[in-house]
Amino acid sequence: MTEKTLPYTPKDLCNRFLESVRHSAVLGLEVISATPESVRLRMPWRDDLVGNPDTGVMHGGAIFAMMDQAGGMAITCRNFPTFEITPTIDFRVDHLRSPEKGKAVVCEATCYRLTTHVAFVSVTTWEEGGDDEPIATGLATYTRLKINKAGTMVGR
Amino acid sequence: MKALKTLIDECRSGKADYQALIDRVPYARFLGIQVLAQGDELTFVLPKHDNLIGNPTLPALHGGAVAGFMEQAAIIFILLQMGEPKVPKTIDFTIDYLRAGLFRDTYAECSVTRLGRRIANVHISAWQKNRQEPITIARAHFLLSDDASPEITG
Repeated sequence: MTEKTLPYTPKDLCNRFLESVRHSAVLGLEVISATPESVRLRMPWRDDLVGNPDTGVMHGGAIFAMMDQAGGMAITCRNFPTFEITPTIDFRVDHLRSPEKGKAVVCEATCYRLTTHVAFVSVTTWEEGGDDEPIATGLATYTRLKINKAGTMVGR
Repeated sequence: MKALKTLIDECRSGKADYQALIDRVPYARFLGIQVLAQGDELTFVLPKHDNLIGNPTLPALHGGAVAGFMEQAAIIFILLQMGEPKVPKTIDFTIDYLRAGLFRDTYAECSVTRLGRRIANVHISAWQKNRQEPITIARAHFLLSDDASPEITG
Protein backbone atom coordinates (compact mmCIF):
# COMPACT_ATOMS: atom_id res chain seq x y z
CA MET A 1 0.00 0.00 0.00
CA THR A 2 1.34 3.40 -0.86
CA GLU A 3 0.69 6.63 0.92
CA LYS A 4 -1.39 7.97 -1.96
CA THR A 5 -4.02 5.22 -1.70
CA LEU A 6 -4.56 5.82 2.01
CA PRO A 7 -7.54 7.88 3.09
CA TYR A 8 -5.45 9.63 5.73
CA THR A 9 -2.11 11.40 5.92
CA PRO A 10 0.63 11.28 8.57
CA LYS A 11 -0.77 14.59 9.86
CA ASP A 12 -4.26 13.07 10.22
CA LEU A 13 -2.74 10.18 12.16
CA CYS A 14 -0.87 12.59 14.46
CA ASN A 15 -4.01 14.62 15.07
CA ARG A 16 -6.00 11.52 15.91
CA PHE A 17 -3.22 10.38 18.19
CA LEU A 18 -3.06 13.77 19.92
CA GLU A 19 -6.80 13.72 20.61
CA SER A 20 -6.46 10.40 22.41
CA VAL A 21 -3.55 11.52 24.60
CA ARG A 22 -5.24 13.46 27.35
CA HIS A 23 -2.13 15.10 28.79
CA SER A 24 -1.07 16.46 25.40
CA ALA A 25 -4.58 17.73 24.76
CA VAL A 26 -4.68 19.63 28.07
CA LEU A 27 -1.27 21.13 27.26
CA GLY A 28 -2.91 22.54 24.13
CA LEU A 29 -0.54 20.83 21.67
CA GLU A 30 -1.29 21.29 17.97
CA VAL A 31 0.20 19.53 14.97
CA ILE A 32 1.63 22.09 12.52
CA SER A 33 3.08 19.60 10.07
CA ALA A 34 3.86 15.91 9.92
CA THR A 35 5.85 14.07 7.27
CA PRO A 36 8.06 10.94 7.32
CA GLU A 37 11.03 13.34 7.70
CA SER A 38 9.83 15.47 10.62
CA VAL A 39 6.97 16.53 12.84
CA ARG A 40 6.26 20.05 14.08
CA LEU A 41 4.14 20.72 17.17
CA ARG A 42 3.04 23.99 18.73
CA MET A 43 2.22 24.76 22.36
CA PRO A 44 0.59 28.07 23.23
CA TRP A 45 1.86 30.09 26.21
CA ARG A 46 -0.63 29.82 29.03
CA ASP A 47 -0.47 31.23 32.54
CA ASP A 48 -1.10 27.84 34.14
CA LEU A 49 2.05 26.45 32.45
CA VAL A 50 4.32 29.06 34.00
CA GLY A 51 7.26 27.71 35.99
CA ASN A 52 8.58 30.92 37.51
CA PRO A 53 5.80 33.23 38.74
CA ASP A 54 8.28 36.12 39.02
CA THR A 55 9.17 36.07 35.31
CA GLY A 56 6.23 34.30 33.63
CA VAL A 57 8.57 31.91 31.84
CA MET A 58 7.00 28.61 30.78
CA HIS A 59 8.04 25.56 32.83
CA GLY A 60 10.74 23.28 31.40
CA GLY A 61 8.46 20.35 32.18
CA ALA A 62 5.77 21.56 29.77
CA ILE A 63 8.39 22.08 27.06
CA PHE A 64 9.78 18.61 27.79
CA ALA A 65 6.32 17.03 27.46
CA MET A 66 5.82 18.67 24.04
CA MET A 67 9.24 17.51 22.85
CA ASP A 68 8.70 13.93 24.07
CA GLN A 69 5.32 13.84 22.32
CA ALA A 70 6.83 15.19 19.10
CA GLY A 71 9.61 12.59 19.25
CA GLY A 72 7.11 9.73 19.46
CA MET A 73 5.15 11.19 16.56
CA ALA A 74 8.27 11.55 14.42
CA ILE A 75 8.74 7.78 14.72
CA THR A 76 5.07 7.17 13.93
CA CYS A 77 5.42 9.29 10.78
CA ARG A 78 8.65 7.66 9.69
CA ASN A 79 6.91 4.26 10.03
CA PHE A 80 3.72 5.49 8.39
CA PRO A 81 1.34 3.78 7.76
CA THR A 82 2.55 1.01 10.09
CA PHE A 83 1.62 1.89 13.64
CA GLU A 84 3.85 1.00 16.56
CA ILE A 85 3.84 1.79 20.25
CA THR A 86 7.16 3.47 21.09
CA PRO A 87 7.81 4.11 24.78
CA THR A 88 10.64 6.51 25.57
CA ILE A 89 13.83 4.86 26.85
CA ASP A 90 15.67 8.05 27.69
CA PHE A 91 15.44 11.73 26.88
CA ARG A 92 17.83 14.59 27.46
CA VAL A 93 16.80 18.17 27.00
CA ASP A 94 19.13 21.17 27.09
CA HIS A 95 17.46 24.48 27.89
CA LEU A 96 19.52 26.92 25.85
CA ARG A 97 17.66 30.04 26.94
CA SER A 98 14.33 31.01 28.48
CA PRO A 99 11.41 31.47 26.11
CA GLU A 100 9.81 34.89 26.28
CA LYS A 101 6.68 35.27 28.42
CA GLY A 102 3.52 35.16 26.33
CA LYS A 103 5.06 33.50 23.26
CA ALA A 104 3.96 30.12 21.93
CA VAL A 105 6.69 27.54 21.41
CA VAL A 106 7.19 25.28 18.40
CA CYS A 107 9.30 22.14 18.16
CA GLU A 108 10.50 19.99 15.31
CA ALA A 109 11.32 16.32 15.88
CA THR A 110 13.18 14.00 13.51
CA CYS A 111 13.68 10.27 13.79
CA TYR A 112 17.17 10.15 12.25
CA ARG A 113 17.88 6.46 12.74
CA LEU A 114 15.63 3.45 13.06
CA THR A 115 17.00 0.02 14.05
CA THR A 116 15.08 -3.20 14.68
CA HIS A 117 14.40 -2.34 18.29
CA VAL A 118 15.39 1.28 18.82
CA ALA A 119 14.51 4.65 17.31
CA PHE A 120 16.89 7.63 17.67
CA VAL A 121 15.30 11.06 17.71
CA SER A 122 16.41 14.67 17.87
CA VAL A 123 14.15 17.60 18.71
CA THR A 124 14.69 21.36 18.47
CA THR A 125 12.39 23.98 20.03
CA TRP A 126 11.94 27.66 19.20
CA GLU A 127 9.68 30.49 20.14
CA GLU A 128 7.02 30.82 17.48
CA GLY A 129 8.31 32.97 14.65
CA GLY A 130 11.92 32.85 15.85
CA ASP A 131 13.36 29.92 13.95
CA ASP A 132 16.97 31.06 14.15
CA GLU A 133 17.60 30.91 17.91
CA PRO A 134 16.48 27.65 19.53
CA ILE A 135 15.34 27.72 23.15
CA ALA A 136 15.88 23.99 23.69
CA THR A 137 17.35 20.92 22.03
CA GLY A 138 16.72 17.30 22.89
CA LEU A 139 18.08 13.85 22.09
CA ALA A 140 16.15 10.71 22.82
CA THR A 141 15.83 6.99 22.24
CA TYR A 142 12.56 5.09 22.05
CA THR A 143 11.95 1.36 21.93
CA ARG A 144 9.76 -0.15 19.21
CA LEU A 145 6.90 -2.37 20.32
CA LYS A 146 5.24 -4.19 17.46
CA ILE A 147 1.58 -4.99 17.65
CA ASN A 148 1.01 -8.61 16.62
CA LYS A 149 -2.02 -9.98 14.78
CA ALA A 150 -3.80 -10.71 18.05
CA GLY A 151 -3.53 -7.01 18.88
CA THR A 152 -1.10 -7.40 21.76
CA MET A 153 2.21 -5.64 22.12
CA VAL A 154 5.41 -7.61 21.77
CA GLY A 155 9.02 -6.63 22.20
CA ARG A 156 9.73 -5.15 25.62
CA MET B 1 2.55 37.45 46.75
CA LYS B 2 4.77 36.78 49.72
CA ALA B 3 8.48 37.16 49.06
CA LEU B 4 10.09 33.84 48.18
CA LYS B 5 12.74 34.15 50.88
CA THR B 6 10.14 34.86 53.58
CA LEU B 7 8.06 31.88 52.50
CA ILE B 8 11.08 29.58 52.52
CA ASP B 9 12.14 30.76 55.97
CA GLU B 10 8.61 30.08 57.22
CA CYS B 11 8.66 26.58 55.67
CA ARG B 12 11.99 25.84 57.31
CA SER B 13 10.78 27.01 60.72
CA GLY B 14 7.47 25.17 60.43
CA LYS B 15 5.37 28.34 60.28
CA ALA B 16 4.28 27.65 56.71
CA ASP B 17 3.41 24.42 54.92
CA TYR B 18 5.78 23.26 52.18
CA GLN B 19 2.70 22.99 49.99
CA ALA B 20 2.57 26.81 49.87
CA LEU B 21 5.93 26.77 48.12
CA ILE B 22 4.66 24.37 45.47
CA ASP B 23 1.35 26.16 45.01
CA ARG B 24 3.28 29.32 44.18
CA VAL B 25 4.17 27.69 40.84
CA PRO B 26 1.31 27.64 38.30
CA TYR B 27 2.65 24.57 36.44
CA ALA B 28 2.96 22.64 39.74
CA ARG B 29 -0.70 23.37 40.44
CA PHE B 30 -1.54 22.36 36.84
CA LEU B 31 0.02 18.94 37.49
CA GLY B 32 -1.45 18.77 41.02
CA ILE B 33 1.88 18.21 42.80
CA GLN B 34 1.77 17.68 46.56
CA VAL B 35 4.48 17.27 49.15
CA LEU B 36 4.80 15.05 52.21
CA ALA B 37 7.21 16.35 54.82
CA GLN B 38 8.59 14.08 57.50
CA GLY B 39 10.86 16.33 59.47
CA ASP B 40 13.29 17.70 56.90
CA GLU B 41 12.70 14.81 54.50
CA LEU B 42 10.47 15.62 51.58
CA THR B 43 8.61 13.19 49.38
CA PHE B 44 6.87 14.73 46.40
CA VAL B 45 3.57 13.26 45.23
CA LEU B 46 1.89 13.36 41.82
CA PRO B 47 -1.65 12.14 42.57
CA LYS B 48 -3.20 10.25 39.67
CA HIS B 49 -5.44 12.40 37.52
CA ASP B 50 -7.10 12.00 34.12
CA ASN B 51 -5.22 15.04 32.79
CA LEU B 52 -1.90 13.23 33.25
CA ILE B 53 -2.74 10.26 31.04
CA GLY B 54 -0.50 9.62 28.03
CA ASN B 55 -1.60 6.15 27.02
CA PRO B 56 -5.36 5.70 27.25
CA THR B 57 -5.38 1.94 26.61
CA LEU B 58 -3.01 0.79 29.40
CA PRO B 59 -3.76 3.38 30.94
CA ALA B 60 -0.42 4.99 31.72
CA LEU B 61 0.80 8.41 32.72
CA HIS B 62 2.36 10.68 30.09
CA GLY B 63 6.15 10.52 30.28
CA GLY B 64 6.22 14.29 29.97
CA ALA B 65 4.00 14.74 33.03
CA VAL B 66 6.26 12.48 35.08
CA ALA B 67 9.34 14.37 33.84
CA GLY B 68 7.77 17.76 34.64
CA PHE B 69 6.86 16.49 38.11
CA MET B 70 10.45 15.36 38.74
CA GLU B 71 11.94 18.61 37.44
CA GLN B 72 9.65 20.67 39.66
CA ALA B 73 10.42 18.45 42.68
CA ALA B 74 14.14 19.11 42.12
CA ILE B 75 13.56 22.88 41.83
CA ILE B 76 11.72 23.01 45.19
CA PHE B 77 14.32 20.76 46.76
CA ILE B 78 17.21 23.02 45.72
CA LEU B 79 15.34 26.21 46.67
CA LEU B 80 15.15 24.93 50.23
CA GLN B 81 18.93 24.51 50.32
CA MET B 82 19.88 27.90 48.94
CA GLY B 83 21.07 30.65 51.26
CA GLU B 84 19.61 33.37 49.04
CA PRO B 85 16.73 31.54 47.37
CA LYS B 86 16.08 32.42 43.74
CA VAL B 87 14.17 30.12 41.39
CA PRO B 88 16.88 27.96 39.76
CA LYS B 89 16.94 27.72 35.96
CA THR B 90 17.07 24.26 34.42
CA ILE B 91 20.20 23.87 32.30
CA ASP B 92 19.61 20.27 31.29
CA PHE B 93 17.34 17.44 32.33
CA THR B 94 17.98 13.78 31.49
CA ILE B 95 15.48 11.06 32.27
CA ASP B 96 15.58 7.26 32.01
CA TYR B 97 12.26 5.45 31.78
CA LEU B 98 12.59 2.10 33.54
CA ARG B 99 9.00 0.94 33.89
CA ALA B 100 5.60 2.06 32.67
CA GLY B 101 4.14 4.77 34.88
CA LEU B 102 0.73 3.25 35.49
CA PHE B 103 -2.39 5.23 36.29
CA ARG B 104 -1.71 5.56 39.99
CA ASP B 105 -0.07 7.97 42.42
CA THR B 106 3.63 8.63 41.78
CA TYR B 107 6.23 9.62 44.36
CA ALA B 108 9.60 11.28 43.95
CA GLU B 109 12.60 12.01 46.09
CA CYS B 110 15.64 14.12 45.29
CA SER B 111 19.24 14.18 46.32
CA VAL B 112 21.67 16.95 45.59
CA THR B 113 24.92 15.47 44.33
CA ARG B 114 26.66 18.82 44.26
CA LEU B 115 25.48 22.27 45.22
CA GLY B 116 28.02 24.72 43.87
CA ARG B 117 27.87 28.49 43.95
CA ARG B 118 26.41 28.67 40.46
CA ILE B 119 25.47 25.16 39.44
CA ALA B 120 23.63 22.35 41.20
CA ASN B 121 23.57 18.70 40.18
CA VAL B 122 20.49 16.83 41.36
CA HIS B 123 19.38 13.22 41.13
CA ILE B 124 15.66 12.46 41.18
CA SER B 125 14.00 9.08 41.53
CA ALA B 126 10.28 8.38 41.05
CA TRP B 127 8.33 5.29 42.01
CA GLN B 128 4.79 3.99 42.38
CA LYS B 129 4.74 0.61 44.19
CA ASN B 130 7.90 0.99 46.24
CA ARG B 131 11.00 3.12 46.08
CA GLN B 132 13.22 0.12 45.32
CA GLU B 133 11.47 -0.19 41.95
CA PRO B 134 11.72 3.27 40.38
CA ILE B 135 9.66 3.92 37.27
CA THR B 136 12.03 6.72 36.23
CA ILE B 137 15.32 8.18 37.35
CA ALA B 138 16.61 11.56 36.26
CA ARG B 139 19.51 13.88 36.75
CA ALA B 140 19.54 17.56 36.10
CA HIS B 141 21.75 20.62 36.28
CA PHE B 142 20.41 23.94 37.46
CA LEU B 143 21.81 27.44 37.24
CA LEU B 144 21.50 29.04 40.65
CA SER B 145 22.77 32.50 39.94
CA ASP B 146 22.82 34.73 36.88
CA ASP B 147 25.52 36.94 38.37
CA ALA B 148 28.36 37.65 36.00
CA SER B 149 31.37 35.44 36.56
CA PRO B 150 34.28 37.10 38.27
CA GLU B 151 36.74 38.18 35.63
CA ILE B 152 39.33 35.56 34.91
CA THR B 153 42.75 37.12 34.98
CA GLY B 154 46.21 35.83 34.27
